Amino acid sequence: MGKVHIEIDGQELEAEVGSMIIEVADKADIYIPRFCYHKKLSVAANCRMCMVEVGNLPKAVPACATPVAEGMVISTSSNKAVEAQKSVMEFLLINHPLDCPVCDQGGECELQDLSVGYGEDVSRFTEGKRVVQDKDIGPLIATDMTRCIHCTRCVRFGQEVVGIREMGATGRGEHMEIGTYIAHSIESEVSGNIIDLCPVGALTAKPSRFKARAWELRQSSSIAAHDCLGSNVFVHHRRGEIIRVVPKENELINEVWLSDRDRFSYQALSEGDRLLKPRIKKDGVWQETDWQTALNLVASEIKRIIGGSNGDDFGVLVGNNITTEESYLTQKLLRESGCNNIDFRIRRRDFSGDGRGSVRSGMNFAMESLDRMDATLLVGADLRHEQPLTALRVRKSTGYGNVMAINPFDGEYNFRLSQELQPKSNMLAQEFASVLIEADKLKPDVLNAEAKEWLAGIDSNEEHQQIAQNLIDGEASCILMGVYVQEHPQAEVVNWLAEALATVTNSDWGYMTQGCNAAGNKIAGAVPCQSAAGGKSDEGKNAKQMIQDGMKGYMLINCEPDVESVWAEQALENLKRADCVIALTPFADGRVSEYADVMLPIAGCYETSGTYINVEGKWQSFAAAVKAPGEARPGWKVLRVLANLLELNGFDYESSTQVIEELREKFEAVGDARIARKVPPPLMVVSEQETTRESLGLYMVDPMVRRAKALQQTPKASTHPISISRVKTR
Amino acid sequence: MKKFKQYINSFLLVELLKGMSVTWGNMFRKKITVQYPEEKTPQSPRFRGLHALRTYPNGEERCIACKLCEAVCPAAAITIEAGPREDDGTRRTTKYEIDLFKCIFCGFCEESCPVDSIVETRVFDYHFEERGLHIMTKDMLLEMGHQHEDQIAADREVDAKYR
Repeated sequence: MGKVHIEIDGQELEAEVGSMIIEVADKADIYIPRFCYHKKLSVAANCRMCMVEVGNLPKAVPACATPVAEGMVISTSSNKAVEAQKSVMEFLLINHPLDCPVCDQGGECELQDLSVGYGEDVSRFTEGKRVVQDKDIGPLIATDMTRCIHCTRCVRFGQEVVGIREMGATGRGEHMEIGTYIAHSIESEVSGNIIDLCPVGALTAKPSRFKARAWELRQSSSIAAHDCLGSNVFVHHRRGEIIRVVPKENELINEVWLSDRDRFSYQALSEGDRLLKPRIKKDGVWQETDWQTALNLVASEIKRIIGGSNGDDFGVLVGNNITTEESYLTQKLLRESGCNNIDFRIRRRDFSGDGRGSVRSGMNFAMESLDRMDATLLVGADLRHEQPLTALRVRKSTGYGNVMAINPFDGEYNFRLSQELQPKSNMLAQEFASVLIEADKLKPDVLNAEAKEWLAGIDSNEEHQQIAQNLIDGEASCILMGVYVQEHPQAEVVNWLAEALATVTNSDWGYMTQGCNAAGNKIAGAVPCQSAAGGKSDEGKNAKQMIQDGMKGYMLINCEPDVESVWAEQALENLKRADCVIALTPFADGRVSEYADVMLPIAGCYETSGTYINVEGKWQSFAAAVKAPGEARPGWKVLRVLANLLELNGFDYESSTQVIEELREKFEAVGDARIARKVPPPLMVVSEQETTRESLGLYMVDPMVRRAKALQQTPKASTHPISISRVKTR
Repeated sequence: MKKFKQYINSFLLVELLKGMSVTWGNMFRKKITVQYPEEKTPQSPRFRGLHALRTYPNGEERCIACKLCEAVCPAAAITIEAGPREDDGTRRTTKYEIDLFKCIFCGFCEESCPVDSIVETRVFDYHFEERGLHIMTKDMLLEMGHQHEDQIAADREVDAKYR
């Protein structure tokens, strides 16, 4: 890229050839007013607000659509520029209502802000204003279409970033209207972003509609807790109540976007049925009690069951979005009391890889490199519904790269697949192995004899060859496995295949994990096969054994096996049959009151400090944004006090930072060591019986999302599990 | 000499007589004492007394929950919670409270109101009999508005040309 030299407002700047004036100005912190320009979207130049004066050009030009040229002298605040901007503002205000006090955007509105600088105090327009009927576009986004200034950011977002044209403009000039063409709800799983994009109050958040003004809100940084990306967010809260969650820009993770799940899940905390005091079930009747009594009871029950069974009959199931600190303390507490039955992989079927693999689970390459992959192979990955923002990244690469999928279901994609294989779900591993065979044929000297022998006798065809060829040809290529794979009965085989294929084709590989903290939970040691940071552990029972065998005592930490488990009915039955079920949960509703004997209120996310480790292995700590309601306490505090009551040593933490530092020291000592497996267990055709209950729906993944009212009313909440039931069976 | 003059003056009670002349003078002047509560001092139409929330003649409350009064209040005496109204989805307050212990009666809330909803009436004599009554709730404020609407409207009318 060549460079040109330009001058903006007297400031000498160097700019890349082809960049627009507004980009250069933004980089140099020179503000040019704008409505339609957005750095992540294409240039539309239809608001005309960014008029600037350029050199000797007779008229002002739009800064967003004028490329820089050598020697350009630009003025953003000369008389000519300001006059042009003021005229544009006058035009915009012809039809925009002037009732800011009733508008939900008031106080954070770009038009309002700019009209202070560029608007006239008296209108010359005496005719009636245009009125546009509001559209009902679903439970997440409220519309006020009269306020629309036709910047088309929402239209371009759908078209360019998401790849689903849901919004569009009909009519021209005075009659132009933004809408959904045919009246229907917006179904995209990242639709909430158009709320942020809308510069005026035409599109606003429905769940927080009219609740608060921007100036009342306090802002805390946090990490979103519903997928493994660890999207950075700002939690906006007022008087201890979370009002909304908005994205915090992080180019490496979520860019400027946020999925609806992360954006609207907070509703469960502010409007859900929260557990406010510890409860004990006495003779079948729930009684509220104080922490002291409840914790003493819990401690004595843990002692009794673990002591009575030599640690065999007590099991801990850890939820998907608890913090690393919480899972570290849980496993430490449990292992110190002589029990190893702890697991967070509540939806896993195949545990044959336990004791192998890396200390951390996830992917070993950077998320942002997905943007630039020449070849991406998705295996059992329903990206749109599992990690919606990853789908946006993969979509970017489809411009020049190939995206291929081996998905045993009728997936919905927002990008074009160059190739799609749809094996039956029990044939996933076989289909994948065929690709490896073809890759081996193309590059025969990578796999060892043992592996070749293992692969012998599996069929393959040109389709598999094409996939292998693409992966080998691509300079940057990757194999990405989804949540589906981890729930597959042959997860370990598929894992091994992916690793082998990655080695042969020289690709990156990784898997997108379930929940937000699978990596953290594994590092913390919330698995039966390894203690913290990959430390040794005596063999304990895994989630499948705990659920299927039935235990005397269970401890559930923000986990609802009756919904989340693959064997949900069995889980419910065994939980009901257990002697003592201790549930640490932020919520009072659900079936937990049917099977639990003690319910301890813990803080939900955004209410506790902690750390999530994302799928790439980024450790992201956050502080509590608001205080938990009632007597609910952060999980790590509850576990620390419980450990003290159990008279265990080494639990004198005073903050969650101390906990994570202890774990971090241990982890840094071992690093990301791996114990690889030479050859996986034999490839077999698995029976269909076990795989009837498939992935949790988009809005079913964790207790918080399940209780978010607005998300549950979206069309996706009801259709997504149906799309999963379309999974092909034999 | 000075001492002698003082002596004579004190002997003749001159200072006493000077003082008494003021007393006697006032005794026959017109009285300015107001017999409160039977009588009241005149008030300006801009008087800033107890608050009220006004309604339109058709009974619709004026307040649109824009929260400007809450933002402008220097004593942070106003607390508003808002949301879409159940029946028509318009922007309304669900809670509007003024803490009279905090309020300094500066009148900024009234000035900031874009719909002339929150106003300060001429009522200045009030008391609380129970703890907690110093917080004027939305109902109390609306009731104030109903009771004093005529006076409020008349006062705004008089002051209209200066606003």
